[in-house]
Amino acid sequence: MFKKERNNEVHAVIMEEITAVENCMRSFENFIRAASSRVTDDDTLKMLCDDVCKKEDVADKTLRKMIDSLVGTSFLPSSREDLIAIASSCDKVANKCEYVTLMAVHQHFRFPEELAESLLKIITITHKQFDKLEESISMLFAKFNNMLKDHAILDEVRALETEVDVIEQALYERIFQMDMDLAHQMQLSNYVEALCDIADIIEDIADKIQIMLVTRKN
Amino acid sequence: MIYLLLFAGLFMGWSLGTNDAANAFGTAVATRVISYRTAVTLIAIMVVVGAFIGGANNIDKVAELSTSNKVIASTEEVYLAIEEGEEDKLRLKTAIKAAIIFTCAALTVFVMSYLKFPVSANQSITGAIIGWGLCYADYSDPAVLAVNLPQIGKFASTWVLNPLGAGIISFVLVFVVNKFISAKLTTLSGYDKIIRIGYLVAGIFASYSIGQNSSANVTALYFDAAFAQTGVAANLLTDARLTATIGGIAIAVGVLTFSKRVMMTVGSSIAEITQIDGFLVIIAMALTVVIMGKWMGIPVSTSQAVVGAVVGAGLTRGVKSVHFGVFKNIAIAWVSSPTVAGLMAYLVAICTKNYFLS
Repeated sequence: MFKKERNNEVHAVIMEEITAVENCMRSFENFIRAASSRVTDDDTLKMLCDDVCKKEDVADKTLRKMIDSLVGTSFLPSSREDLIAIASSCDKVANKCEYVTLMAVHQHFRFPEELAESLLKIITITHKQFDKLEESISMLFAKFNNMLKDHAILDEVRALETEVDVIEQALYERIFQMDMDLAHQMQLSNYVEALCDIADIIEDIADKIQIMLVTRKN
Repeated sequence: MIYLLLFAGLFMGWSLGTNDAANAFGTAVATRVISYRTAVTLIAIMVVVGAFIGGANNIDKVAELSTSNKVIASTEEVYLAIEEGEEDKLRLKTAIKAAIIFTCAALTVFVMSYLKFPVSANQSITGAIIGWGLCYADYSDPAVLAVNLPQIGKFASTWVLNPLGAGIISFVLVFVVNKFISAKLTTLSGYDKIIRIGYLVAGIFASYSIGQNSSANVTALYFDAAFAQTGVAANLLTDARLTATIGGIAIAVGVLTFSKRVMMTVGSSIAEITQIDGFLVIIAMALTVVIMGKWMGIPVSTSQAVVGAVVGAGLTRGVKSVHFGVFKNIAIAWVSSPTVAGLMAYLVAICTKNYFLS
């Protein structure tokens, strides 16, 4: 296979990895929605959890496929490292979704319904953030010179993370004002923290892309 | 005796390989475009090719200086020794003197390589020859001064002109490429491909020119001294192409065994440069060496050219991106390497004066 085709294959597999993570995030959203509802039974939650795990597994496999696809391409070692770091970090988003899901199932945890709106808002913003990230990664392959000149899209990713931070702080405040024991409050705040970690991971990926661009920019 | 001379010459070549020759791919290795192993292999091959094809053309460049500084016997001295039946003694003394010059220069370059300073091996040889001459040659003789003063003046001026020229060429190249060419690289793979090809072409070209220019300077002295020797080895060493190729091989071994220290100084310590800047620096270095070599009429240092080129590339992003502290230390090493080699040769000359005048 010619190097150009191999390079295109890397692009395709990275986008496949991003799609796999995105699918995992969608399943995770379904899980959180269900776990915030009192009518959802344990079996349904277990089924939704399995779906998240399956999607996470697909993301893992795609990551390994992506790493293998770099062999024989014309990418420099530093670019290969950067691309692997970006794809691995994307995979961490799926890992985090799986972690929160499994933790909730094992602990038979339910989110209070009054917090559901805020939690889903976090997930919606995180999705938007991930879409921007997907766009920026695609630009690395197709419009690299534009990215070198202007990477405002990465600032948008960071701005969305700040929105998540604001909701997170408001949630902590509400949680510790709620009428429940401290252990339950702590448990709930841990879930919120883990949920908001996803936005942090996406922000870290944006930073990695910016570093990659800065080190190549003259 | 010829083997002692050959050994000293090879030590000189090895030292040159550990220092000057590392420049061809220094920035490529430091910016991780090309692995150290690939880089040294390519340099080694191209240095030998350069020495084989073009090395012999430059082999007599240091002969005049060596003769006027009493390292190599003049034609009259050779005839006189033959008349007096002392040619064996003359042969022995010539070989020992040449070996001393090489060893002084090679030790200086090796120490500089160990200290990670890119310096000029050619100038260390010149320094050692002049240091020897300060003890033996009659510096009140206008003929001696006529050979030495322009030579000293020329290589002192290259400490400024060579890096300055490389810096200007590099600055212009980096500026033009960044302004008009970088913007056209639409994909990451295209960007990487241009960088990889650029480094390979520039590095191969630079390695070839190092083989062509430096191998002769390593071996010129033992080539000259070999004419005063007898035996199979001495006869072989009077073949200019073979001698230059042996010099090239010695440089290649130096590159393969101990060049990483200087390579990393050149590539990463002097200024912050990007991957694209890196290969433009090598092109600027090679162009400067060719232009200055022709203009000045003496072999100029690739180490000095590459340092100037890195500074020039760094300056396109402002004064702050250049580490002037490192640059200052390197500049001191440029001045001190021929000085130290000359001083060593001078001290050895004083200690052995009784023997050589007997």
